Amino acid sequence: MPGLPSSVDLDECIARLYKKELLAESVIEAICAKTKELLMRESNVVHVKAPVTVVGDIHGQFYDLIEIFRIGGFCPDTNYLFLGDYVDRGMFSVETISLLVCLKLRYPNRLHLIRGNHESRGVTQSYGFYTECSRKYGNANVWHHFTDMFDYLTLSVVIDDRIFCVHGGLSPSIHSIDQIKIIDRFREIPHEGPMADLVWSDPDPERDEFSLSPRGAGYTFGSQVVKKFLEVNKMEHILRAHQLCQEGYQTLFDNQLSTVWSAPNYCYRCGNMASVLEVGENGERVFNVFEAAPENDQVKDMQMGQDKMGEQGQLPDYFL
Amino acid sequence: MDPPPPPSSSSTTTHPSTTPTTFPSTSFLPPPSSIPRPPSPVQPPPRTFTHPPFTITTLKAPILKSTPIDLLQSRLGIPIPEMIFGDNHLTLHHIPTAYTLTFTPEPALDLVDKTGSTGLLKVHYATAWSATREKTSAGIKEVVKPFDWSYTTSYRGTETPGLGGQKLQRDDKARIPVELLQRRDPILFADEVVLYESELDDNGVSVLTVKVRVMEQRMLVLCRFFLRLDNVLVRVRDTRVYVDFGEERVVREYTAREGEFGEVKKKLYMEGLMPDQITIAFRDANQIAHLLPVVEHEVESVCLEGETGQTQEGR
Repeated sequence: MPGLPSSVDLDECIARLYKKELLAESVIEAICAKTKELLMRESNVVHVKAPVTVVGDIHGQFYDLIEIFRIGGFCPDTNYLFLGDYVDRGMFSVETISLLVCLKLRYPNRLHLIRGNHESRGVTQSYGFYTECSRKYGNANVWHHFTDMFDYLTLSVVIDDRIFCVHGGLSPSIHSIDQIKIIDRFREIPHEGPMADLVWSDPDPERDEFSLSPRGAGYTFGSQVVKKFLEVNKMEHILRAHQLCQEGYQTLFDNQLSTVWSAPNYCYRCGNMASVLEVGENGERVFNVFEAAPENDQVKDMQMGQDKMGEQGQLPDYFL
Repeated sequence: MDPPPPPSSSSTTTHPSTTPTTFPSTSFLPPPSSIPRPPSPVQPPPRTFTHPPFTITTLKAPILKSTPIDLLQSRLGIPIPEMIFGDNHLTLHHIPTAYTLTFTPEPALDLVDKTGSTGLLKVHYATAWSATREKTSAGIKEVVKPFDWSYTTSYRGTETPGLGGQKLQRDDKARIPVELLQRRDPILFADEVVLYESELDDNGVSVLTVKVRVMEQRMLVLCRFFLRLDNVLVRVRDTRVYVDFGEERVVREYTAREGEFGEVKKKLYMEGLMPDQITIAFRDANQIAHLLPVVEHEVESVCLEGETGQTQEGR
């Protein structure tokens, strides 16, 4: 593989990003191009070995990402698997995805990034990432570089042949993991089909089989679906993210499936806990629960920009 | 969103003692021990403001944990929004008569259509989705308990009549004096409380909030339900409660507005907004409410004057 332009020093980029400094547009362009080349070689099902720390949705909560590294150890001393939804909602999507991509390039075998439903052009136009890129860079070029790169992110990871990891969940079109391998994933996330299901679907503990969502699109999957999938593929556990959990994590179906949620105080106002899941060498799973990083308080006023009521020192809202 | 049982099984730890290794690029970070840790989320105290003859109370707490969620779901019989601020409320209390008007999530969610009898909304790509579903999944026909997943509510607050039986009654002549509310009178107390919010699986937003501002002579409450279902429709349902402290009179005005998504977009474009600004405007009910046609409007009033309190007809 050709290297990065000599002007781009990855370690320096990472050091800047840890300080929450933005990289230049040209640097982002080079890094995204390079990341595309790297991701293109990854299968739709990447196999990794424990120990590995698994992280759920981050949603641009940069300070909480740093908190995860503080708690779980920095890269490359700790292996990481991120389950997607790096951008949108939070205030620092650009910094968050820039850092994760640089770490991926620097330590490609120590850190893995799965695609979430927010790693898409469609969703990021409505939920903040597009607006944030335009605001921070004055144009949408950086958004184009990132979203073009998102098309190459892998869809799933298997840890030690026993834990299947995905952003959303299972699909009625997928019984065997081999069926994931043949998906043509280098594209925008479609509205339907197995690729959409993997990033969108949710478990339903009250059901056995697949059900239709009342929204008119999408599936939920029940206990028998999970049991059968694990049996067919000789796996022990399904690990996914995608749904807010007040306690930071949730286990379902007799401990056959876990949801891990890594955005504490989601949207800076839910007051929820977050967690990362540490998978040990013998497959043991330990949830490490944490709360919002103290640095979030420093930008509280900006975060609360949309409801600046009732706090002292802020402009009164003469709503009608 | 489905009822999450309490987290169980797998062991849990909090903040292991392992100190992060000294990776060079992280040297700017303060060591974990030097960072003041906020106390774990606990129930914050309510804020109370007394401005005779009224007391105004607000409570802003974290979203509910799984056990209270299970209980709430079994009481309501529908899956509840993922962001459920179940303990939050805003309450107006008239001290002499004990009349109260409170805004809290449960009765608001209780008004959501729980069977889908009013006709379910569908996401904009639902037709395309069902038309192109793969053959392997065509056998799946069961819809998870149909209900109005947009969480549309016509909630106007929960009223407890005064000791003299005072309660709000329809009053077509009553109106909220907007001109008095446009004055920049000093605000003595203000707060805003979210009752519930759903991201609708990233198909838009559904949010119910209530806010209050108290001035010397009067106060105004706005409880707003805002629904944006992307590429389908926009709904704003406002309940305004106006209280004149001198007259001890409460006026409640309910206005429901609804517009087709494309029409709203067109109007924003005609107002001169650029595409990026339109995207931002669609996140803010304040920027689009006035563009939506009114589909329902009703005014009620009650007079709480005098300690025995006779219900008066609209003045």
